[in-house]
Amino acid sequence: MSQVHSNLHRSALADWWQGTRRTDIWLTLAWFDIVLRYRRSMLGPLWLTLSMGVMIAGMGPLYSSLFGTELSRFFPHLALGIIFWAFFSSVVTDACNAFVGSSNYLKQGYFPISLFVWRSLARNLIQFAHQIVLYIPVALWAGISLSWSVLLIVPAFLILIINAHALGLLLGLICTRYRDVTQIVTSVMQMLMFLTPVFWLPESLPGRAKYVLWNPFAQMLDLLRTPLMGGVAHLHSWIGIMVWTTLCLIAATLLFSKYRRRVVYWL
Amino acid sequence: MASISLKNVAVNFPIYGAGAASLKKTLAASVTGGRFGKETGVTVVQALSDINLELKSGDRLGLIGHNGAGKSTLLRTLAGVYEPSSGEFMRQGSVASLIDPSLGIEMDATGIENIMLRGLVMGMSKKDLDRLTPEICEFSGLGEYVNMPVRTYSTGMMMRLAFSISTSVEADILLMDEWLSVGDAEFTEKAEQRMRDVVSKSGILVLASHSPELIAKECNRVIHLEHGRIVEVS
Repeated sequence: MSQVHSNLHRSALADWWQGTRRTDIWLTLAWFDIVLRYRRSMLGPLWLTLSMGVMIAGMGPLYSSLFGTELSRFFPHLALGIIFWAFFSSVVTDACNAFVGSSNYLKQGYFPISLFVWRSLARNLIQFAHQIVLYIPVALWAGISLSWSVLLIVPAFLILIINAHALGLLLGLICTRYRDVTQIVTSVMQMLMFLTPVFWLPESLPGRAKYVLWNPFAQMLDLLRTPLMGGVAHLHSWIGIMVWTTLCLIAATLLFSKYRRRVVYWL
Repeated sequence: MASISLKNVAVNFPIYGAGAASLKKTLAASVTGGRFGKETGVTVVQALSDINLELKSGDRLGLIGHNGAGKSTLLRTLAGVYEPSSGEFMRQGSVASLIDPSLGIEMDATGIENIMLRGLVMGMSKKDLDRLTPEICEFSGLGEYVNMPVRTYSTGMMMRLAFSISTSVEADILLMDEWLSVGDAEFTEKAEQRMRDVVSKSGILVLASHSPELIAKECNRVIHLEHGRIVEVS
C-alpha cells in the first residue's frame, strides 16, 4: 500500500496506473476466481470448453439447414460467432459487477479501482482461452485457408481490450451507483445477440436492414471473425469501431476522474 | 516516520434505497448515532464531522463510543477506504488494517492460498510471500489446517489466520477494530505481543474498542466519539 495517502493532491492517471501496473494482483485474483468456481468439480475449467463445444455442435447442423447454408461455410461462422459473443456478453455483464463483486476488498483499504476492472477482464480472457481452442478442429474440418490478412486480428484484439477496459470502468461506475442499470444491460445484451450476426450471415440481410450492422458489437465481431475465416473485414467496421472506442474512452475518462474514489460510498 | 493528520474532516454517506426517513427511523437514529439529513431526496448520513486529529510515531490512540458513533468509519477513513467528503486528510507510512478480518477471505480457498491472495492484495510481492508464508503459518498456530479450505475453520481460527497475515507485513500504522477477544487466551496474548511490537517500532496504533480496560492498557491517547463527532479527548 502507498506510503503517502491524501485527499489533496492526486491525479486520475496516477490512480489508474497504480491499479494497472499490479498485474500480479489482478491476474492472481482472476485466476483464483476461475479456480475456486470449479474447485469441487472433476473437470474443472474444462467445463467451459465442454459446454461451449456441445452448444456449437448442437446448433451448427440445425441452423445451417434452417438457413439453407452449406455446413462447411456456416459452421466456422457460427462457432466463432458464439465464442466471441459469449466473451463480449460476459465482459459487459461482468463489468457491471466489477466493483460490487470486489466490495470485500474495497471496504478493507484503499485500492485503485482500475485493478478490479482488469481483474474482471482477465477472468473473462481466461474463460475465452478455454473456448477459442474449439475453433481449431472446426477450422480444420471446414478446410479454412488463412492468408496474411489473419494478422489483422492483432490490432483488432487490441481494440477489443481497450474497449473492454473502458467499458468496464464506465459500466462498473454507473452500475454501482444505479443498480437498475445492471438489469438493463443484461436485457440489452440479450436483445443485441439477435441483432448481431452471431448466428445469421450478414450477407442474407436485405439492403434496407443493413443499418443493423452499425452496432458496435457487429463491427467488432466482423473485425475479429472475418480474418480468422480467411477474409478481410469491412472498412466501415474499422471506422465505426474507432469512433466508438474514442467515445467510450472519453466517457470512461470523465467518469473515472470524477468518481473513482466515490465508488466505495455506493457499495 | 509515520504520521496522520486530519483537518475538519467530514464523511457523509448517501444512503440509496433506504426510502424517506420516517419518524420511527429518525428516532432510532437519534439513539444509535449518525445524524440524518435530507439532500436532494437521498438520505444522507453524516457519519463523521469536524474531525481534527494529529497522530505521530509512537501514538497509541484508543477510540471509544457506542455502536454507530463512527469508530469504524473513522478507522476506514484512516485506512483510505472512504475519501473524506470535505476537509484535509494526510497519512504517511504503510498501513495494516484489521478492521473486519473476515472481509477478503475466500472461503473455498485453503489457508495457504488465502495467505497468498491477501498478501498480494496488501501490496507484498510473490517473493516476499514465499519468504513470509512459513512464518505466518507458524504464528497462526493452525498446523495442518492451513492446507484445508477456510470454510472448514471455526470463527476463531479464521481470525487467527487473518490477524497473522495482516500483521506479518512491516507496517507503520496498525488500525484495529476490537475483535481480538475472539481468539483463545493463548492467541490473544500472542496477538497483543505482536501489536506492541508494531507500536514499539515507532509506529502508530489506532484501536477501536468497547472495553475501557483494553484501551487503558494499550493506549496513551483516547478519543470519545459521539454522533460522529469528537466529544472528549484525553
